[in-house]
Parts: sequence; structure tokens; C-alpha cells
Amino acid sequence: MMVRIFTTLMALMMTATFSLAQQGPLRIEITEGVIEPLPFATPNFVAENGSSAEMGVQLTRVVAADLQNTGLFREIPATAYISSVTDFGSAIQYPDWKAINAQALVTGAVNVSGNNLTVKFRLYDIFSGAELGNGLQFQGTTEGWRRMAHKVADAVYSRITGESGYFDSRVVFVSETGPKNKRQKRLAVMDYDGAGVKYLTDSRSLVLAPRFSPTGDRVLYTSYETGFPRIYVLDVGSVQRRLLESGEGSISFAPRFSPNGQTVVYSQATGSNTDIYTMDVASGRSTRLTSAPSIETAPSYSPDGNNIVFESDRSGAQQLYIMSANGGEAKRISFGQGRYGTPVWSPRGDLVAFTKQSKGRFHIGVMRVDGSEERLLTASFLDEGPTWSPNGRVIMFHRETQGAGGRSTLYSVDITGRNLRPVRTPEGGSDPSWSPLQK
Amino acid sequence: MLFGGIFRTEQLPIEATEVSVISGEAFAALMAAQDSPTSQSEVAQPAQPVADSEAVDVPAPETTPEQETPESAPAPSADDTPDVSELTPLPDAEVSDAAPVLPTPEPEVTVDAPETSETPVPQTSVRVAPEAVIAPDPEARPDPVEQDAVQQAETGETVAEPQEETAPEEAATEIVTEAEKPAAAPEKSLRPPPRRPTRRAVQAAEASEPAAEPLALEQSGSSAVDDALAETLGQVTETPSAPSGPPLSAGEKDALRVAVQDCWNVGSLSSLALETTVVVAVSLTQDGKPVVSSIRQVGSEGGTSASVKQAFEAARRAIIRCGVRGFQLPSDKYDQWKDIEMTFNPERMRIK
Repeated sequence: MMVRIFTTLMALMMTATFSLAQQGPLRIEITEGVIEPLPFATPNFVAENGSSAEMGVQLTRVVAADLQNTGLFREIPATAYISSVTDFGSAIQYPDWKAINAQALVTGAVNVSGNNLTVKFRLYDIFSGAELGNGLQFQGTTEGWRRMAHKVADAVYSRITGESGYFDSRVVFVSETGPKNKRQKRLAVMDYDGAGVKYLTDSRSLVLAPRFSPTGDRVLYTSYETGFPRIYVLDVGSVQRRLLESGEGSISFAPRFSPNGQTVVYSQATGSNTDIYTMDVASGRSTRLTSAPSIETAPSYSPDGNNIVFESDRSGAQQLYIMSANGGEAKRISFGQGRYGTPVWSPRGDLVAFTKQSKGRFHIGVMRVDGSEERLLTASFLDEGPTWSPNGRVIMFHRETQGAGGRSTLYSVDITGRNLRPVRTPEGGSDPSWSPLQK
Repeated sequence: MLFGGIFRTEQLPIEATEVSVISGEAFAALMAAQDSPTSQSEVAQPAQPVADSEAVDVPAPETTPEQETPESAPAPSADDTPDVSELTPLPDAEVSDAAPVLPTPEPEVTVDAPETSETPVPQTSVRVAPEAVIAPDPEARPDPVEQDAVQQAETGETVAEPQEETAPEEAATEIVTEAEKPAAAPEKSLRPPPRRPTRRAVQAAEASEPAAEPLALEQSGSSAVDDALAETLGQVTETPSAPSGPPLSAGEKDALRVAVQDCWNVGSLSSLALETTVVVAVSLTQDGKPVVSSIRQVGSEGGTSASVKQAFEAARRAIIRCGVRGFQLPSDKYDQWKDIEMTFNPERMRIK
């Protein structure tokens, strides 16, 4: 009873205080919102001449698919449109788009002249009744029409979300065919969405773990061409490669570039011991970073190049550690049940993605670099090999199904754990590595 | 000769054991010399099984191999305890010619128990909102404002303007990742239904059933205090200290807050924008509709100029979208709500 009397008095005092304080406008605080895809409309880009019509439709579809595949946007079907856009320069009928609950409108125009392609677009905030940013125009060749569509989508994504896009990027991966006991593997590169696959090697020798350079023009990978794993650097444009020499009588694997592209960090096994080394790409001079009798592997640089996250079984089970890029004492960051491996540092620098094996299942997860806030995003028979999108918002990995006929497929998932979706490739795929945004 | 190489006739070794014969007296003497096993009255109880602590991130000793934590042993039910009562002496038998009357069987008491554990299944949805919403009727158009459909009468006279049925979109209260979705396989094997409770157990349960009366009294007492509190607060709010007219009640302000937050979509905001708080001012018309040109940013905290812009755009969209039919506000208090400052704080909506 005393409590209620006290509460009553406090309420009276607060009310009286509030009454005196409310001299200005009414003030409220909103702390809970909703998370749902933002509805947008993308009428087919206007064809500025007769030969542009088909290109306009194709380009519009790629832009819409890019946005919709993020899970952050929802395309309103064209059948719901009240008004149409037949002229790129005409005024927008905002009430018509507002009526179908479109919150963003992307309009564009396409002009094909010989081998030249010009694409321009505008983005409108329907409920503000204004254009969001200025219109942009891209010029290129008709062969590069998908890249131009990705660039339009990147610009739209960036203006609405406030963070850079990731559509005009590529993924290098291991293309797989055949049954598990006789699987043929070769390196391939594709657009982030699985289109435009090109093969970089043949399937005569086993290849593993391709990794893009920070500029996206080179790929590091491990090949068993000589019977032992060796690290090669491949120029994506010319498809020329060269061997990165390592110590005699040793096996080297799991390479990854430093953020400046001048150093490669990798694992080297000598006898029964595996340690982490760096190699200067220009001089070929290598430096040993760890010297524990345990297995240290899967190193990955932080975006600033000052630290390296790696996996080690030095404590008896496979866990994640962070050390200085120059070596030295390592700090353990994973403490959960199960085994942790293949850590990859986020391009934003705040998270580490990893593979976790626990209770017979594999997970792709993320944690902060201090090991806190671990979140498992996926769960399956075998999920492995995470790689970050250039903006650090999406993780791609590969998932293998059970059984002798099991197939390995690339998947992507948002870091919130939503929007898990397969990446369609002509054959099976594993070991993806995402490039930076193309220039 | 054909099978000669396979079926060889080698002599198998024979084991021989020496046996000695002793007399019956000698055997008895031999047995008596051995100690008889002592009877152990109490069997050592197994250690209490440790509850599964999967969710706790405590570093386990890594050298210890992972073991399946055994399930907790089921607690013994009341039926396992035997009913003990003193036996009374049997009375003398009375012999009569009347046919025996069969006793009426008591109605069988059954206990319906679920055969499988009902693990709460997290609701998944494309939309995440503070309150979960079940999937609406497919005929209903998604809209924050729920309305029944109004159709033309058969007579041709329209009672009300035809209105499409609307309903809030399906929503879950949290993001459910694939790793959190429960597997379809049952986690426990089917358990046999429990035994019927004995008459003694039923009586005990009836006796221990709490009475509902005291709770009702407590509720009515609480209500009386709340009524008094509300009455007192009402008197205070009606004091002439307010600048113009009666202020909005807490409930009215809550209703406004809920109306705006239903349209505040932060799903497409960057992580930096989710760390940015913006204060947005808006003027409303007398029918509760926002004046779009009046929406302006009057303050912000955290983030960069770009993230402030993103956060403001999301806030502006929320006000316009959910205010398109006018916010439900008391018209007699218009002076109190014609100008509003809304603080959009996304702290709870961040990606964690």
C-alpha cells in the first residue's frame, strides 16, 4: 500500500512537472520501428531509339533483380502500375505511385548506337515528392550492359541505404563437376549474381581456395599440379600465372593478400607442424609469424592491415585467434562450444565471419573482433568458406548436401541472418572469394 | 587332388586340462573358507545430470571430448509411492441369499498429455515489427490501418463509400536466422501417457487447488487504487497551468507513437544510420494529417551527415505514410498536437 501511495505521489509530481514543461510542441520518442523490404517500382527503361527496346527491358530486369535480391527491397509488379513512364524527362505523377505504396521509383532511358550503349536513370522518393540525388548517365559498350545495370543498381542502393552497393563485383570460385569421389575442379569467375561464368583453369589438376587481390585483377590459389599443394598468382585479365616460391620440402596453402596487395599471408606445413608465414610478392622474401607446435592456418588480414585473424588448435581444439600482422602473441577470440575455422575479417573491420562445427552441424556465423556478440546465421550438413561482399553487408559461402551424390552450391546470406538464397551457377561451386567493387 | 590343396588334413592341436578329484568334505571345507559377499543395501546414486547449457557461452575445457548431456531423469510421480494404510480385521462373514449387487464403476479419469514436447516455434516473416501479426486474409490489402471491406449493396444504394479491405501485414517480432529455426524432427521420443491418478492423488490435488476469491479481491483493490490515481491525475491535468487546452493523455500519446512506428521502416538503413537519432518537427492539420512541407529536421545525434540524411528520410516517410489518413488524435486538444517534435531513436533496432 505504501508503494502505491509513493507511486501516486511520484506520478502527481511528474505530471505537474510535465504540464509546466510542455510549453513548446508536443514531443514523443519513437524507439521501435519495423524491418521490412522497401517497396519500389522500376518501369522498363525508356528506349530512345528503335534498337534499344530489348536492351531497355533486359537492363531494367537486372536492376530490379539486384535490388530485390538484397532482401531490403520489394519490387511492385508492373501490373499494379497506375501511370506509366514513356518519357525520361516527363514529370512524375507522385499520387499514382503513392497509391500503390511505391516508396521509391527508378526511371531510366537506354540508347543503343552501334556497339555503344548509354544508360541514364533517376531515383524518386515518392512520399517526399522529390528526386533523390541527381540523375546519372553511364556510357559503355553493349557487351558490358550487365555491368552498367549493376552500376545503376549500386547507385540506387547507395542513395537509399546510405552504404555502398556490391552489385558491380565479381566472385572467383571453384567450379565442381562429377561425383564426390571423382570430382573435377577448376577455377571460375562470375558476376556476383552467378551470371557470366568464365573458367580460369582446366580441370586436370586439383585447385583450392582462390582469393582475389584488393584490386580484383589477380587471384591467389592453391594447385596440386606438381602433386603437392603450391601457391600460384593468376592475372585475371591475361590468365597468366606464376608460382609463388616457398621453402624447400614444405607444403604451402591457404593464401590471402594483404589490403595493400604487396604481401601474401599463407600457411606452410613442414613435417607435422603448420605455421603462418608472409611473403613479399615482389621480392619473394618470406617471414615466419608463428612458431607453435600446433596447426595455425586460414589467416586473414584486418582491413587496415595491422592484424591477422587465424585458426589454431593450440588450446586443444580449433579456435580463432588474432595477432599483430608482424606476429607475436595471439589473443583468442572464440570461446563457444564446437570448433571454429576459416575466419575472414569484414571489409568494415567490425566483424569476423567464420565456419563453426558443433553437434554434427556446420554453421556460418559472425562475431565482433573481440569475440562478443556471436551470431550463427546458417545451419546445415556442411556450410563452409565464408567471404564478404565489398560493403560488408552480405556473406557468400558454399553448402554441400549429404551423400555420395551430394552437390556443392554457393549461397549468400545477409549479416542479419535473413535472405538466405542460392547463387545459381552452371555447375557446382565452392570456395567463393568476393572481389572489391569494380572501377 | 582338385581340393587337396584346400582341405588339408592337418591335425588340430588339442588342449588338455588336468583334473583332480577331491572328496565332499574337502569341497565343503574349501567353500567355507571363502568369504560370503556382503550385501550392499544402498546403491550409490549416479551424479545429478547437468542441464544442457547450450546457450551459455562458457569456454569448456578443450581437452575434454564433447559428450552428449544426458536428459534429466523423470521425477517420480505420485503413483510410484505406494499407499500405506493399516489393515483392519475382517468382520465375520454374513451369509445371505440375496444376489450380490455389482458396484457401479467410477468414471475413468484420464489425463490428456501431449505426446510430444511443444517447443515454441519462432514465427518467421519478411517483416519484423514490435508486435507479431498473423498472416492476414489474402484478400486484404496490406495497410497499417486495418479496415473492413465495404461493398455496394445489392439494391444499388451504397450505405458507405466502397472500401477495399485492409489489414496489417504479417509480421514477426524478431529476426529468425536459419540456425535458429527448429529442426522438423522431434527432439524427444514419444512418451507413454501418464498413469491414471489415484483417488488419493485427485483428492490431494483438489485440496491444494488455490481459491480464486483472494485474487479477485486483490484485483478489485488494485483497480480501485488505479481509479483513484486516474481521477487524481485527471484533476491535475485539468489544471489551468497548461498553455492552451488540455494536454494529451499518456494513452493518446502512445497511440500516436504506435501509429508512427508502424511505418518507420529501418530495414533498408545502413548500420551507421541505425546509430543515428534524428529529431523531426511536423505540423498537423486539424484532421490529423501531416503538412508535408512542414516536416523538417531540428536535431540529430550520432552518425555522419550522410547517415543523418538517411535517417531523416526514413523518419519523414514514416510520418507521411502513416499520416496519410490522419492520425487519430482528439480534436478538442488540437492546440496541443498541432506542432509535434518526434525523436526517432533506432537504438533497439540495430543489427546485433
